[in-house]
Amino acid sequence: MADHLETRNSTTTLAGPEPVLAPGHTYATVTDKIAAVPLEVGWPRFWIVGFTISALIFGMLLMTILWLLGKGIGVWGPNNPVGWGFDIINFVWWIGIGHAGTLISAILLLLRQQWRMSISRFAEAMTLFAVACAFLYPTFHTGRPWLAYWLLPYPNTMAMWPQPRSPLLWDVFAVSTYATISLVFWYVGLIPDLASMRDRAKSRFAQVIYGILALGWRGSAQHWNHYEIASLILAGLSTPLVLSVHTVVSFDFAVGLIPGWHATIFPPYFVAGAIYSGFAMVLTLAIPMRAWYGMQDFITMKHIDNMCKVMLGTGLIVAYGYAMEAFMAWYSGNLWEMFMFKNRTTGPYGWSYWSLIIFNVLIPQVLWLKKARQNIPLVFVLSLVINVGMWLERFVIIVTSLHRDFLPASWGMYYPTKYDWSMYLGSIGLFLTLMYLFVRFLPSISIFEVRTLIPRASKGGAH
Amino acid sequence: MSATEAMRPYLDKIQTRGLLAGIVGLIACGVGFMVDHDQFWRSYLLGYVYWFCLAVGSLGLLMLHHMVGGQWGVAIRRGLEAGTRTIPLMFVLLLPMLFLGSHSLYEWTHAEVVAKDPVLQHKSVYLNLPGVIARAVVYFAIWILLATLLNKYSQEQETAGYWAVRPKLQKVSAPGIVLYGLAVTFAVVDWVMSLEPHWFSTVYGAMFLVGQGLVTFAFMIVLMRHLTDQEPLKDQDKVNNFHDLGTLMFAFTMLWAYISFSQFLIIWSANLPEEITWYIRRLNGGWGYMAAALLIFHFIVPFLLLLQRRVKRKKAWVGMVAAWMLVMRLVDLAWVILPAFSHSEGQMPQPHLNLHWLNLAAPVAIGGIWIWYFMMQLKKRSLEPLQVS
Amino acid sequence: MPRKPLYGLMAEFSTPEELVQAAHRTHEEGYRKFDAFSPIPIEELHHAMHLKDSPLPKFVITAGILGCLGMFGFLYWISAIDYPLNVGGRPLYSWPSFIPVTYEITVLSAGLTTVASLLLLCGFPMPYHPVFNVPRFKLASRDKFFLCIEAEDPKFDLQRTKEFLASLRPYEVSEVEI
Repeated sequence: MADHLETRNSTTTLAGPEPVLAPGHTYATVTDKIAAVPLEVGWPRFWIVGFTISALIFGMLLMTILWLLGKGIGVWGPNNPVGWGFDIINFVWWIGIGHAGTLISAILLLLRQQWRMSISRFAEAMTLFAVACAFLYPTFHTGRPWLAYWLLPYPNTMAMWPQPRSPLLWDVFAVSTYATISLVFWYVGLIPDLASMRDRAKSRFAQVIYGILALGWRGSAQHWNHYEIASLILAGLSTPLVLSVHTVVSFDFAVGLIPGWHATIFPPYFVAGAIYSGFAMVLTLAIPMRAWYGMQDFITMKHIDNMCKVMLGTGLIVAYGYAMEAFMAWYSGNLWEMFMFKNRTTGPYGWSYWSLIIFNVLIPQVLWLKKARQNIPLVFVLSLVINVGMWLERFVIIVTSLHRDFLPASWGMYYPTKYDWSMYLGSIGLFLTLMYLFVRFLPSISIFEVRTLIPRASKGGAH
Repeated sequence: MSATEAMRPYLDKIQTRGLLAGIVGLIACGVGFMVDHDQFWRSYLLGYVYWFCLAVGSLGLLMLHHMVGGQWGVAIRRGLEAGTRTIPLMFVLLLPMLFLGSHSLYEWTHAEVVAKDPVLQHKSVYLNLPGVIARAVVYFAIWILLATLLNKYSQEQETAGYWAVRPKLQKVSAPGIVLYGLAVTFAVVDWVMSLEPHWFSTVYGAMFLVGQGLVTFAFMIVLMRHLTDQEPLKDQDKVNNFHDLGTLMFAFTMLWAYISFSQFLIIWSANLPEEITWYIRRLNGGWGYMAAALLIFHFIVPFLLLLQRRVKRKKAWVGMVAAWMLVMRLVDLAWVILPAFSHSEGQMPQPHLNLHWLNLAAPVAIGGIWIWYFMMQLKKRSLEPLQVS
Repeated sequence: MPRKPLYGLMAEFSTPEELVQAAHRTHEEGYRKFDAFSPIPIEELHHAMHLKDSPLPKFVITAGILGCLGMFGFLYWISAIDYPLNVGGRPLYSWPSFIPVTYEITVLSAGLTTVASLLLLCGFPMPYHPVFNVPRFKLASRDKFFLCIEAEDPKFDLQRTKEFLASLRPYEVSEVEI
């Protein structure tokens, strides 16, 4: 009997759940280690080099925008059959990347998944910056961004209202709501940590700045009482919000009539794709960061493994979407649907469809192997592959559906110009610049949530 | 010895009642078959799909639980496993429908209709009786294989320990859920979507997958709610379990509304002739009231109830909402399936609401048999949840 | 010697369990105006201090319902009454197309109300508070746990309250100046 019990115990330790926080930490060590990154580490060389490169690429974005404003959006590639080119591809790509942040902090909070705690802050920041990049494209595609407020319903001298039957208006509301709620969710999550920063900062200047931002947080039981419920509500609101945002983005296409766009599976399949690319981006950023700042105790192999599994799962949902599109194109018996699919796979942009299948469906199947999920360089490469794959997905949906629609007389080809490319690369520069600034000045891991991962002597307390 | 032993009289009672309902339902169906041959098969399809969703949905949720874990799954696992063991019964019940009823159900089995219709000729490679039967055998082979493996390993887990067998269960579940999802998708295309053979929707399979999850959660909550009233399982009556299950049922209710509404919005906005007919049939001639009832009672009411923490934390209340959802799932399936038959021929379909009494008798008949078989399976294994140790 | 007016007395503890115990004892002793400070949320404090449930959810649900009805009504008004425009033959009252925007505004109003209520209920922003005068209070955001009984409490008596706090075996008891 005793023998039996012993084997049972040993299997528990061998195969039981891996920790989401390395052992040996206390409240103090957690606080000190995470707060040290902005307060004490200062300006390490990798930060300066990385930031400079990102800022230079960001500079290229600013120059492109100047040129664009001077010349008009004709400097971009979109033309008559393909009226939406890189700008909407990149818009959807960035919005999608943002989704992982909200997913990690909101949905996983509701599901009581503890592993989310050490990556949520970082992922939420990523959400914000990705949404900022996404905003660039529709804003500048309007041609006169200083009149972008025309998109909002307000009483005006033209006696007109925006058109609520158009998915583009839904998009305005969905993306602005998403940006606003993500910002407040992120900030509310930061408040207790800003108080920690205020209390630990050495310089008067830092104390004042963090002090103002912390709003006077004292960690009082009254504060926590309201705070916990507010976090839960914000998570509860963000979860359906994040689903709705990419759903509305998918409506931009699906509500129209173009074969290849008009598909009922678009909403769930866009959401799954967004989460897929978002987790890939979290890994792309988290893997170097945990190595540079020595954060392996907080972002453990367990985190990497879980994120890989989420990617595998969402990637399979996306593959299911491709399969349904292909099957229904044939099953519909509809001439245009069938032609769309034939053109997509064997037409002039066939290369993009097959690279998409290779990047998004075939290569990521490596993640079935535990060995692959534990191999950090490989995971990093895979995360890049998936990011490229998800970009290709939007390229395929937008360009191959538009360039040959119902009338052969209006067929054409789309070629992105150098300004399309510099605007795209430039937005990556903006994104990385903001990420570098965030890591430098704010705690990039939620200190107070990681504190709650430390086991307590007795959970029961005094009742 | 175990909870199963102690509860045997109680389970026997439910089993007998199931059998009784099944027999009464079958007699009614027999009468119905004599009266209206076509209507019998249409109602049979409705009843079959409803209970099929519950049996195969158990498999889906069981695999989901093995992959993501969670206390909710520990609590309902015995029920889910018993549910997966009823899949062979569903195979047996499918056969008469395909072999004898298909002519009453599916337009594409009428050679003279297909001969006049180029679209149906194009589809006849896929939509033909031998093909549908062969595919059904493949789908059931997949589900039964997965169910058998999961039940076998689960048995091993009793003796070898939770963590020792868990990797095996996960290795089956991860690819299993992919196969399961594909099989369910194509199965509902074959059996239900092809009732209107010109119509197609890419999200159809996903809609059924979500509906299956929902009906299975609702059933398992009702089951748990009653079993934990009985003596040996009373200590399993944990508030958190019901809270978690209630939350999951809530999430699936929202997902159902989300997919149903987005499909509607996309098709309604585009207003294409080959697609919108599906909704014209379901929103006119009385069916519109059913659609409104679905919006209110399948979504708004359960949404507002389950939004509240105190409802989710009371066993009796969650149980009541779950029982309600079991009814609403049948209404939803009726709204999806039945209007396919209730339109007159002509240029513009003229739908009319016809709620034949067989539409109730057939689900009761199949349900009675299913409950009887389910209880038989439930009694075979321990009822106490397998603890994570 | 004239003394500065006191805000209250503060005791420091090193574990959450001690703080919960102390809060429990303080409430039992009859004190009502006191607060506990911790670097992590402690669920048990809710019980030990007899805190009321936060009214926040009520505000949020009200704002959500108002946002939902308000936006739907507004969309109806702009498309069917104030600016009727035929778009592709769709009806003026195209309720399915109003759902997405109505939904977003519901979430937006509920979300902003959550944050506004949080700030209001906590009294933020509040850059100055007497408890910050205790030098070791900086550790309340790191790893220490504090309990402060306010001088305004009717039962407060400098000497007796100090003795009471000392009986809770804190790390130290300090006076909180205003």
